[in-house]
Amino acid sequence: MAVDNIVYLIPALPVLAFVLTLAFGKKLPSGGGYIPILAIAISCIISILAFLQIYKTGTPIEVSAPWFSVLNVGILIDPLASVMLLMVTFVSLLIHIYAIGYMAHDPAKPRYFAETALFTAAMLGVVLSDNILQLFISWELVGLCSYLLIGFWFRKPTAAAAGKKAFLTTRVGDVLFLAGIVILYSNMVEHVLPHITGNETVYLLQFSTIFENIHHIPSGQLTIITLLFFGGAVGKSGQFPLHVWLPDAMEGPTTVSALIHAATMVTAGVYLVARTFPMFIASPGVELAGITIPATLTVVAYIGGFTALFASTMGLVMNDIKRVLAFSTISQLGYMMLALGMGSVIGAAAVGFAMFHLINHAFFKACLFLCAGSVIHSTGTNDLREMGGLMSKMKITGITMLFASLALAGIGIPFLKIAGTPIGTSGFVSKDAIIVEGTYVFAHMTNDWIPFAFGILAALLTAIYTFRLWFMAFTGKPRQERHPHESPATMTGVLSVLAAFALVFGMLTFVPFLDFVGHTYDHHEIEHLAGLGGNHIIDHHELHHIITEETSPIIFLLPVIVGVGGLLLAWVIYNRRWINVASIGNMKNPLFVILAKRYYQHEIFIELISLKFTYGVLALTSEFSDRKIVDGIINGISSFFIGGAEVLKKIQTGVVQNYATATVLGVGLLALILSFRGVI
Amino acid sequence: MLPVSYYLIVAAIIFSIGAYGVMTLRSGIMIMMCVELMLNSANINLIAFASHFSQVNGHVFVLFSIALAAAEAAIGFAILMSIFRSKNNVNIDNMNILRW
Repeated sequence: MAVDNIVYLIPALPVLAFVLTLAFGKKLPSGGGYIPILAIAISCIISILAFLQIYKTGTPIEVSAPWFSVLNVGILIDPLASVMLLMVTFVSLLIHIYAIGYMAHDPAKPRYFAETALFTAAMLGVVLSDNILQLFISWELVGLCSYLLIGFWFRKPTAAAAGKKAFLTTRVGDVLFLAGIVILYSNMVEHVLPHITGNETVYLLQFSTIFENIHHIPSGQLTIITLLFFGGAVGKSGQFPLHVWLPDAMEGPTTVSALIHAATMVTAGVYLVARTFPMFIASPGVELAGITIPATLTVVAYIGGFTALFASTMGLVMNDIKRVLAFSTISQLGYMMLALGMGSVIGAAAVGFAMFHLINHAFFKACLFLCAGSVIHSTGTNDLREMGGLMSKMKITGITMLFASLALAGIGIPFLKIAGTPIGTSGFVSKDAIIVEGTYVFAHMTNDWIPFAFGILAALLTAIYTFRLWFMAFTGKPRQERHPHESPATMTGVLSVLAAFALVFGMLTFVPFLDFVGHTYDHHEIEHLAGLGGNHIIDHHELHHIITEETSPIIFLLPVIVGVGGLLLAWVIYNRRWINVASIGNMKNPLFVILAKRYYQHEIFIELISLKFTYGVLALTSEFSDRKIVDGIINGISSFFIGGAEVLKKIQTGVVQNYATATVLGVGLLALILSFRGVI
Repeated sequence: MLPVSYYLIVAAIIFSIGAYGVMTLRSGIMIMMCVELMLNSANINLIAFASHFSQVNGHVFVLFSIALAAAEAAIGFAILMSIFRSKNNVNIDNMNILRW
């Protein structure tokens, strides 16, 4: 087919755009910003073509070529990859269009557009890779671009520091990921290679090879590999405890934040877990209330759920509009991880839920960030306390942001379903699916209600902080004398498109999406793999049965109740001001202090772990042993010989007579010895 | 005819005086003269054995040795001259610049 031959253009065109923009951007209008837009638009069109082909035929597109030895380079577009492709190219395209307006006054436009084009290309590389090594290379490229773009305004010290922080924090995860790949490779060589017979070429690190041979890999090794992979995902996707870089990543231009938070970078971690899901499900199980569930997926679920709740509490008290959104991203990524973790019970359907939330999140989070960018662009401040009453001046931004906020808070109408599709914002559709069909079913099967509690509480807090933001920015009286104005049409147009997607995308695609992505992994295959670790997963019918028969209506209502409740609470506090915020949110309230200080993460990470432990204990001990012990031995040896030489060199007097005397004495002594021994 | 040991004893005494002089004296000229003493003691040995064994080889060697000694003395005194020019004396224990 024709599409197979041109899929390589999807990542290649943005790379080309990167080169062209970097080289010729200065001479072109808008800093060459139209080159990446054109390139990504074509990539987007090819992605759509590829998607249509897969959707029609049901067979994934696979293009592969040998690289060296047992490795290959290749492209794999299965349902999972194709939805990611559509999302990445589409959202990235919109953000690039928006950036033409947003970055209009920046002198470094060519560099900006070149880097964002490379960023998009790297993310497309992650999505398209058909083997884990290629994925890792693109993954690192994503990390590099994030460093470059977060530190885009590198003359600002905070931006440079934030770039460095993002790079180093995600690097912790990257090292774990690389370690996982190395262990996987050695296992493949040791346990899988002997089983491969015949002359067919087999690429060891190709996903299809790995998945087909999971049963040859010892289960203990599988646990280690998947945990290390998840470590990589934790770094990239900002999960606890490696989430600290994400709020600081706000130092870059807002469009970069939108790109990082919606289309590229942070979703890479979720995608990695979804991509290697068969390995996760095959890891050995832990016993929980009578049924065995895969251990690493449980870890994924708990870390994800905890992150969702943890980040949303901090989102409550931030005053920087972008920081609120950053914590919201961490929290929503936690939801995606939580959803993937629920795969321990519901199998591959979890991948569908997680990806669905990922895509929906991409739309409404991109919209929220670009709205925030529009607000910052026109008011010139990031501080929510200095905004207020913007609705009258910035109608389009306000309304689009309201829609995106409704989506983030997950507002919708429960029980009402048309042709199996719930009616509500896209956030409602996907979050509801995660909470009810994911965490509730998990709780139902295992009696472990903790993930469910994480999900519900985080949903409540999400609604509160989202509408706190919106009410503070757009309603009430202006708190400072500023002259806000509506943004140009390239910006508002993009906002409108994204807001429309945030509202209706979930509703329109719910059933076909889950059906499509759910077919990435064959259900019987997944069941078989789960059986390897002694795990049991429920199938579609069981899931349907639990949802329709054994779930009380309150469970369905709960996500909406907390969503609307949060909205009302925010309305009461931040719009009507019936409750004085200052009475709760001041430095006398210990809870507020903890939140405002962000759980003392800075103190714990920097001062305790970095300064006290790493520097004070590890570094100084190493320094002592290096300087005093290792160097001491070397210096001792050399000073012994230097000192000895100092004494011995006095023999060389330079007076020839002394030498002559020594020679005569020596010869005499020799003669004496020889005569004693009877030689002479 | 005196036995050969007499010559050898004289030669040994002269050699010892020469060696003692080389080791103890300070003046360069005196040391040169002591070196000549040692050479000549060796020459005496050669002549003694040559006459003892009635062979001519020893005489030839001695002639070579004397020629060599003359050449050596010429070089030695030339060196001493240049030392004298720079230091105004020929004391060998002042010449210790080739040391640590």
